[in-house]
Amino acid sequence: MSDELNSLDPYVQWIASEARLSVAVDPAARTRLLDALRTEPVPHRRGRVLAWLLEPRPLALPPLAAAALAASAVGIGMLGGLAIHRDGRPSTAQPPSAGAAISQLPDSIAPRAIKFVLIAPQASHVSLVGDFNGWNASANPMKAQGAGMWTVFVPLQPGMHTYSFVIDGSHFVADPAAPIAPDDGYGHRSSVVLVGGSSL
Amino acid sequence: MSDAADVQRVLSGDVDAFARLVDRYYERCARFAVRMLGNRDDAEDALQTTFLRAYRSLGKYQERDKFSAWLYRILVNQCRSIAARRNQRERVFVREEAVLLNAPDRRPNWSGEDEEFVQRVLAELDPLLREAFLLKYVEEMSYEEMSTLTGVGVSALKMRVKRACDRLRARWERIKDE
Repeated sequence: MSDELNSLDPYVQWIASEARLSVAVDPAARTRLLDALRTEPVPHRRGRVLAWLLEPRPLALPPLAAAALAASAVGIGMLGGLAIHRDGRPSTAQPPSAGAAISQLPDSIAPRAIKFVLIAPQASHVSLVGDFNGWNASANPMKAQGAGMWTVFVPLQPGMHTYSFVIDGSHFVADPAAPIAPDDGYGHRSSVVLVGGSSL
Repeated sequence: MSDAADVQRVLSGDVDAFARLVDRYYERCARFAVRMLGNRDDAEDALQTTFLRAYRSLGKYQERDKFSAWLYRILVNQCRSIAARRNQRERVFVREEAVLLNAPDRRPNWSGEDEEFVQRVLAELDPLLREAFLLKYVEEMSYEEMSTLTGVGVSALKMRVKRACDRLRARWERIKDE
C-alpha cells in the first residue's frame, strides 16, 4: 500500500481498499468482445508518407516559391469559406454553444497566430486542446470576452491540426463551425483546422 | 511479452496478440468501469467500446506512451460518455440511486455487504470527484499520469481528490455512531 494511501483517514482507506478488489465480470462479455474484434479489419500503422504529410513542420522556401504557395493557399481559403457557408452554420450561432476556428491566410509559411472562438455562455472556464499542445487542458486557457464568447490565439505551424474545446475541465466539444476530425479513439469528437490554407 | 511487442504483432497482422492485451487489462478496466458507472451493464458497454476503439485506433498509438495509459484514456472518456448519455436518457440510475439514498444509513458489517456498501458510497460522490478518487487511490496513478489522462491540471485533480476524501470522511462522521 502506498504511503499516500496510508496517510488517509482509516474509513477512506477502507473504502479505497474495498474498491480495489476485483469485480465479477460476465465471462460471456469477454467472449462477445473477442468475437466482435474478429470481425474488424486488421489495424495498420498510419503510412509513413501520410504521416509525413500530416506532420506540421517549419519549411524554408525561396521567396518566389513562398509567394506561389501563399497565392495557392488564398485560393484554397476561398473554397473553404464557401464550404462553411454552404454548411449553414455561421460562427455566431447561438447557445447551447457555437464556435469557429478562424485561420488567417499566411503571407509566408511561417507559424501563424490562429484565433479560436467558442460561444459557451454557461461555461465558467474553457480551454483549447489539440495535437499542438499534447491535449493538455492547462496549456491554452481561453479568455472570456463577454456575451458568452471565449477566444484564444495560438501560434500554429503550417499543416493540419486536430483540436477540441474543454468546458469546465471535463466536457469535450468539437468546434460546431469547423469540420469534424476522424474518430481519434479517445471517445470525444474533435475538429480539424488546416494552417496555411483553410479548414479542410 | 511486453505491451509494445503485442501491439507490433497486431499491426503486423497477428490479431490474436490483441487478445493477450485484452486478457492483461480486462479485469482492471472492468473494475474501474464498474466502480465509476455503478452497474455492470453500463460497465460492459464501456469495456466493449473501449477495446474496440483501441483496436481500431492501434495504428495511431505512439510507442513512446504507455499502452496502459493510452487504453485508460479511452476508458475514462467512454465512462464519461456513457454517464452523460445515461443522464440524458431515462434516468433509471438516478431513480435507483434515490432509493438507495433514501434507505437508512447504517454502518457496514464489514462482511458480505461491503461491496454493495462501497459501491453505494462511491455513487454518492460527484462523478468528477469519484473519477479522481478512483484513479488516485484505486488505480494508484500519480497526479501527473492522471493529468495526462484526463487533460485536467494537477492542482485541480488534487483538489478533486481532497474533496472526495472530505466527503467520504464527513459521511462516516454522520453514520459511525448509529
